[in-house]
Amino acid sequence: MVRYTIEELLQLKPSEALTPNFDAVEFRAMIEKVKHLQALKEEEFGHFGHFNRRRSSHHHGKPKVKHTKPKVTIDSDGWSTFEANKKGSGDEEEQEKPARESAPQPTIAQETIKVKPNNKNISSTKPADAKDIVADKPIQSFNAFAALESEEEDDE
Amino acid sequence: MSVEEVSQKVQEVQINDGATKTTVLSDQSNFEVKHPLNTKWTLWYTKPAIDKSESWSDLLRPVTSFQTVEEFWAIVQNIPEPHGLPLKSDYHVFRNDIRPEWEDEANAKGGKWSYQVRIKSADINELWLRTLLAVIGETIDEDDSQINGVVLNVRKGGYKFALWTKSEDKEPLCNIGARFKQVLKIGDDEKIEFFPHSDANGKHHQPTITL
Repeated sequence: MVRYTIEELLQLKPSEALTPNFDAVEFRAMIEKVKHLQALKEEEFGHFGHFNRRRSSHHHGKPKVKHTKPKVTIDSDGWSTFEANKKGSGDEEEQEKPARESAPQPTIAQETIKVKPNNKNISSTKPADAKDIVADKPIQSFNAFAALESEEEDDE
Repeated sequence: MSVEEVSQKVQEVQINDGATKTTVLSDQSNFEVKHPLNTKWTLWYTKPAIDKSESWSDLLRPVTSFQTVEEFWAIVQNIPEPHGLPLKSDYHVFRNDIRPEWEDEANAKGGKWSYQVRIKSADINELWLRTLLAVIGETIDEDDSQINGVVLNVRKGGYKFALWTKSEDKEPLCNIGARFKQVLKIGDDEKIEFFPHSDANGKHHQPTITL
């Protein structure tokens, strides 16, 4: 058996590069092309890698949830009205049901609940507008009880 | 037979022939006589998959073969060194026409000595060259031709060297493993492992020898 030690083989190494028995230029070009494509992939998908890509919710930050701002309309007297957001199609039916049930209630009571004074004294005990509060009170109490009592008397 | 003995024999043949033939020792570029190796060797390359449709058979291809020391150097001088290879590449140098697959008849009853270099600063190019020289020079296996080939895997975690053998016989394998550690300059604190190919399909592929 022919044997050569590592040192002997190193002695036989020519100082000048010899011509190999295959197309080394094509081989090196293929390897360079692979390296180039790998670099492009790395650049495109970053350090997460293409195949290890996670859902957007798995990133460190909080998921982006878009909240629409509540719509508030202000009338000519300075009263602001809050309008609740309309829900999606699935919730529409559920939303409609309580609306129908509350329909027989007096419309005046609904208006007084919705209305809020747009005043800098909102957190104080001082009435925002003395005239309006005085005007609301007798209307609310009068309409509710007077109407019920009068109907009962008629039936009897 | 040493390199001096081979060169001397060549010179004797030249004297008998009555002609003066040059070797690489006397003329680096215009030599006529080459130093023969014990057997033919084939260099294989595994190209990293770029497209998912590429199969293993598409990626593993023989590059060239060599039978002399001069042909070996001509190849080594013209191919990228391990540091120049892209990730997931493999170099394989196997004897004759043995395919670098454990399914090959010559490999089926054997296994591989394996060692992974995790330190990036290690001189991988030098270690790979030393391994190649020890294998083709047949000095890593003094008793018998147990060696079928040698493999280098370029991976993200490091470079993996593997010495493929044709059998699982413990005694000759331990001698080869000890020399493999010397070639790779591995200290006593580090271990190399032998994995038989018969367990290659198993889920828990465990080494049968650790050295």
